[in-house]
Amino acid sequence: MRQINAIAVAIFLVVVLVLFAFTPRNTQIMQARFLGLIAPLLKNGSSIQKQVIGLREGMKKLTELDTENKQLRVELNELRAKDQTLQGLEAENNQLRRALQFRERSQFRLVPARIIARDASTWWSTINVDKGSNDGVEPDQPVLTEDGLVGKTTIVSANACTILLISDENCGIAATVEGTRERGVVRGTRTSTQATPDLTLGLLSKMANLKPGMKVFSSGLGGVFPTGVLIGEVKNFEVLPLEGQATVVPAVDLSTIEDVFIVTGGTK
Amino acid sequence: MIYPYLILAEFLSLAVQQYIPALPFGARVLLLPVVFFYAALAVPPPGMLLLAFTGGFMWDAFIATQTVNGNLEISLGWSIVVYAALGAIMNGFRPLFQRGHGWEIHCLLSGPLLCIFVLSEYLMITFRRGGFIFPKLIWWRIGGEGLAAMIAAPIIFLVLHWLALSLGILAPREEREAAQDRM
Repeated sequence: MRQINAIAVAIFLVVVLVLFAFTPRNTQIMQARFLGLIAPLLKNGSSIQKQVIGLREGMKKLTELDTENKQLRVELNELRAKDQTLQGLEAENNQLRRALQFRERSQFRLVPARIIARDASTWWSTINVDKGSNDGVEPDQPVLTEDGLVGKTTIVSANACTILLISDENCGIAATVEGTRERGVVRGTRTSTQATPDLTLGLLSKMANLKPGMKVFSSGLGGVFPTGVLIGEVKNFEVLPLEGQATVVPAVDLSTIEDVFIVTGGTK
Repeated sequence: MIYPYLILAEFLSLAVQQYIPALPFGARVLLLPVVFFYAALAVPPPGMLLLAFTGGFMWDAFIATQTVNGNLEISLGWSIVVYAALGAIMNGFRPLFQRGHGWEIHCLLSGPLLCIFVLSEYLMITFRRGGFIFPKLIWWRIGGEGLAAMIAAPIIFLVLHWLALSLGILAPREEREAAQDRM
């Protein structure tokens, strides 16, 4: 081996060994810096992709847009009214909790975020969104849409963050099933061909006997996900040698979502 | 100096591959490894190690390294080692590249080498998460990605090679051949 090659190999090995010695915290800092570097490119790419899709789908007629606009305004007003009512109910609920000396729930702040890149890896399910620490986002915060749970934040840079989807095997969520006292853990599957793969709800009792269509909600155990967020619906239930296990269809179509909400803040 | 140009190509390919939709069986078109394989063919061994470092680092930082409950599933730097090992195989064919047989080598080797890379990722996941799960789907997915890499390889080769020659950062074939003969 030529001397220069031997020196290069030695330097290479030393640098790689230094990287291997990084703690998880330092690794996340490094990843956040790299995400910050690539995020502007992804944001521009996302805009270009939307423009291309828009051109491909063709322009809508002005009258159609006008009708749609009117409908959306009506829906917006309805939702505003509902939001007012819910805020009132939340305040009342907090008052009652105080009265019962329950821990008061904090007002969650929802940060709306736009997806700038979907995962391009073979074995992991992640997406990138255009909100980061400048908007109050931190690692391990839940992410949802109006339909249900999407995942949790992992790497957070100043203006972008990575979200680990509920369809990833690593994203375990403590869950309950409506109408029962069953508790389990929802996980993604390691391999699936579907864009929105089914989830598994494991660690159930063998006597659970869940029926298709039953709704699965987050239980709040574990401290990352808030209580009562819809995860999906039971598709089927089977009894394994050691536990009961259900297949769950996610409430959110992960392949088509464009915008999500990151829940910042938490329980006081 | 070809290195900044190849590092930029690695960076851009990582961003671009995010927008390429998945193929059947969930296989992906992975551009960064294919760009790296071109680099491994075009530069001498120390340069190949530098580009394995930059490419592997980008891959780990953006894709492969996941922190789960405060623990790393795959350490930062793991892909760098795999890139270097695969790059060394590709680099062994550099004399043929110098003699003008680049694109065939790049195309033929990109597929199998990418398959090895993706399989090694899966084995690492299996090792960390437990459960020896190897359905047929895994092999279809790995094979699909290898095939996609072989289809993308000539295009990437032609674009990068043409740019490198046009910008004067890669010596023309005659000069490279003469340099190879002198060795």
